[in-house]
Amino acid sequence: MASDNTVIGESILISGKLTGDEDLTVRGRVEGEVSLTKTLIVEASGVVRANVEVKNAIVSGVVVGNITATESVELTKDGRMVGDIRSPRVIIVDGASFRGRVDMGDLEPNRERSERPAARPLMRPTVRTSSAPPRPPVAAVAAKAPAAKPVPPPQPSRVESRVDARPPSPPKPAAAARPAPPPPPAPPAMAEAGKKKVLVKKKR
Amino acid sequence: MANTVIGSSIVIDGEISGDEDLVIQGTVKGKISLKESLYVENSGVVEADIDTQNVEIAGRVTGNILASDKVELKTDCRVVGDIKAPRILIADGASFKGNVDMDTKER
Amino acid sequence: MAQLGQINIIGKGIVIRGSLSGGGDLVIEGRVEGQIALKNHLTIEATGKVEADIRVEELTINGEASGNIDASSKVAINSSAKVSGDVKATRVVIEDGAVFNGSIEMDVKLPDDL
Repeated sequence: MASDNTVIGESILISGKLTGDEDLTVRGRVEGEVSLTKTLIVEASGVVRANVEVKNAIVSGVVVGNITATESVELTKDGRMVGDIRSPRVIIVDGASFRGRVDMGDLEPNRERSERPAARPLMRPTVRTSSAPPRPPVAAVAAKAPAAKPVPPPQPSRVESRVDARPPSPPKPAAAARPAPPPPPAPPAMAEAGKKKVLVKKKR
Repeated sequence: MANTVIGSSIVIDGEISGDEDLVIQGTVKGKISLKESLYVENSGVVEADIDTQNVEIAGRVTGNILASDKVELKTDCRVVGDIKAPRILIADGASFKGNVDMDTKER
Repeated sequence: MAQLGQINIIGKGIVIRGSLSGGGDLVIEGRVEGQIALKNHLTIEATGKVEADIRVEELTINGEASGNIDASSKVAINSSAKVSGDVKATRVVIEDGAVFNGSIEMDVKLPDDL
């Protein structure tokens, strides 16, 4: 397990998918997707335009995209972020600016759940293959009652809402393989923001 | 000592209930039910039915007052409504319009 | 305008249902359900529980709040706070330990190319 720290220098631009098992410090620019088992540090000069999956994130620079952290996300006083945060601990320091949703779980789980059943980023695997082909006609029904029309067993509600939430947009494969760009059926403004982000990414 | 103070610049429209003393210097419309004492101070304006243990009124109250112990209308207060309580004190200078009922057997 | 130095307190044993408005700072230690519109600073203490849409200049939360929050200056969600709802403010601070679910809207100045 590497103990040293990877640094992306100020003049470096990385575009694509970045994965790793060590801390990553971004002083330059990263676009695409970042998934780490350790800590992502975006320094004041750093710009991350990506969906991020990490253990911890410390943002002093700019992040546009969604962050899912298993432990914590901190926006320091210089941090600027637009996107959604899902993490059990979220710290926003005075001076930081942020626009988006925060989901720390825990509080009023029922309400969260029912509002956006497909939001949990935890599953992704075979969803697309099993669900996409036979589904189309059901989509309308599913839209009205996402959980009411269970498919086979485990994650029926997710499957359905995914299908009906974005059939028209192209991003099928990515949408299924990705850490669920957040709440599709949630507040309309948010859902739209999420979708937009996905599309942008697609083009890169 | 009273803990809750509704200051003179505060307006509450709705229902206040509780089990501690309440001091009103502002405006309350609706309903007040307390297990302790209510103080309506000079600047206080209450348009509400009141159900409490004690009331001391130095301000203005419009509404019916039901107290399990005592109602005290102080000098300069203006009260319109019916009062029902075992003990009722009306000070010189108080203005009051309404019925007084000190028969508390039902209560 | 509110008198300076005037502090209003809704104590622990008090429950208010309805709308609460006005000027002056307000400290809530009890419960308020409905709507709150204040010109100045609202503090929800650790014992306080508020289920209301809140419009205020500045808000400090140590207790529980659910509802939408619109603050013209700052919202501080301290470590003991539990908050759900959408927050709109110029500055929002969330301390470590606080529980928050909802959205936050601040003005974010991004680089031109984003």
